[in-house]
Amino acid sequence: MPLGTLDRTPPPFFKQGATPLHKLIFFATLSILLMFCDVRWQLTLPLRSALSLLLSPAQWLSRQPQQLSTGVVNFFEERETAQNREQQSQAALLAQSLHAAQVDQLLLENRQLRDLLELKQRATPPSLAAQVIYDAADPFTRRVILDKGGVNGVILSSPVMDEQGIVGQVTRVYPLVSEATLIIDKDNSIPVLNNRTGARGVAFGESSGAPLLELRYMAANADIQENDILSTSGVDGVYPPGVPVAKVIKIERTADSMFARILCQPLGRAQGVRQVLVLNPVGLDEPKRPEPEVVKVPVKAGAKP
Amino acid sequence: MIMPRGQQLLLPANPFFIAVSLLLALVLNMIENVSILGNAAWRPDFLALVLLFWSIHQPQKISIGWAFMLGLAADVHEVSFLGQHALAYTVLAFFATLIHRRLLWFSVPSQALQVLPLLIASHAITMVLRMSLGSSLVGWPMLFAPFLEAMLWPLVSVILLAPQRRAPDPDENRPL
Repeated sequence: MPLGTLDRTPPPFFKQGATPLHKLIFFATLSILLMFCDVRWQLTLPLRSALSLLLSPAQWLSRQPQQLSTGVVNFFEERETAQNREQQSQAALLAQSLHAAQVDQLLLENRQLRDLLELKQRATPPSLAAQVIYDAADPFTRRVILDKGGVNGVILSSPVMDEQGIVGQVTRVYPLVSEATLIIDKDNSIPVLNNRTGARGVAFGESSGAPLLELRYMAANADIQENDILSTSGVDGVYPPGVPVAKVIKIERTADSMFARILCQPLGRAQGVRQVLVLNPVGLDEPKRPEPEVVKVPVKAGAKP
Repeated sequence: MIMPRGQQLLLPANPFFIAVSLLLALVLNMIENVSILGNAAWRPDFLALVLLFWSIHQPQKISIGWAFMLGLAADVHEVSFLGQHALAYTVLAFFATLIHRRLLWFSVPSQALQVLPLLIASHAITMVLRMSLGSSLVGWPMLFAPFLEAMLWPLVSVILLAPQRRAPDPDENRPL
């Protein structure tokens, strides 16, 4: 038998390190501790940022097959399709230019009226175009990763929208990429306003995981109809007011509940969106809210410490 | 070394190859997520499978600490809770060290059958953790993942043992 067929060094008899059970207990405790730091106290962002920087070459590599396939598809796409698309976009542009001209005039009129009434000006927040790199792999949540990060000026809690409406909100900012939670995520909520009636409410992600929104805490007899459009109300100081969010598609009123169950279809493409706009949160340049005053409990006259 | 009768004598495993295969499994997981399947719940977890393979075949070289570190990397990529995959992989590697002396005496298909409970346990840990921290169920497609992984076990065994199956004395007739 030639040399090198077996391990030259025999396995150690005595120096075996910690037993597997000890290692299991140590590392399991460490990971549970980390999870608590992450979920309850949000302390692990530096560790996440560092690891995400380390992983970024691998992530770049993992994007290549997709880009290659889209490149090949684009190469073989026929000229006719491209021309058709060009014509469609021209038509859309024409329709929008008329609209835009009107909007300019309206904005001017609105500003003058607001000046007249001495109302606060409605500002257009600065924005940043970004691209969705991929859907986050975690199947329990609905998140996407954007290709712009803290280096590019993405701010935490910025609203994310596409051309049709609000898509989500930035929930973690890493140096090179950032992570946005979609509005259809179960734990996400967005304050909305019914465009038809002006009634305000809060829309949550659908709890069973369907790509829908749920308008909760609306009284069973509230004035709401199917096909009502909901837009952002702007009371939260994050989303700019008046951006479309969702359309009501189904209302269930049951006798045993005080509230109606209202399901809405998001207007922005919450699934499969590629190009998005990251807006700065509108509340950034507003004055800070006053701290709640500490109420001093008056000491009773007779009581002695 | 006591070995099952009729089995080929293997060359020593190259630590460099082990590290590269683990990294490749991580990248493969990322490709699967980023370019092909998105966040489908039934995606097979290649990293867990390769980690399980090495902790069964080379428990001296790949230990629970490695599983923990790779779990952290998977957590950061998947934006799940930090420590979720780390815990699942740690437990997986621990059970692997428990069964590694027994498992290699069986044929590869029956090995696949025996690692299936470990893979199910690893996925169950993830699910129980997430549900206890307030996530909702993702539905029955998630049940497919451990079965797919177990079905990939023979393939992984062939690929990862190939470098160790080379001839100890390569000559012109047998270059590999």
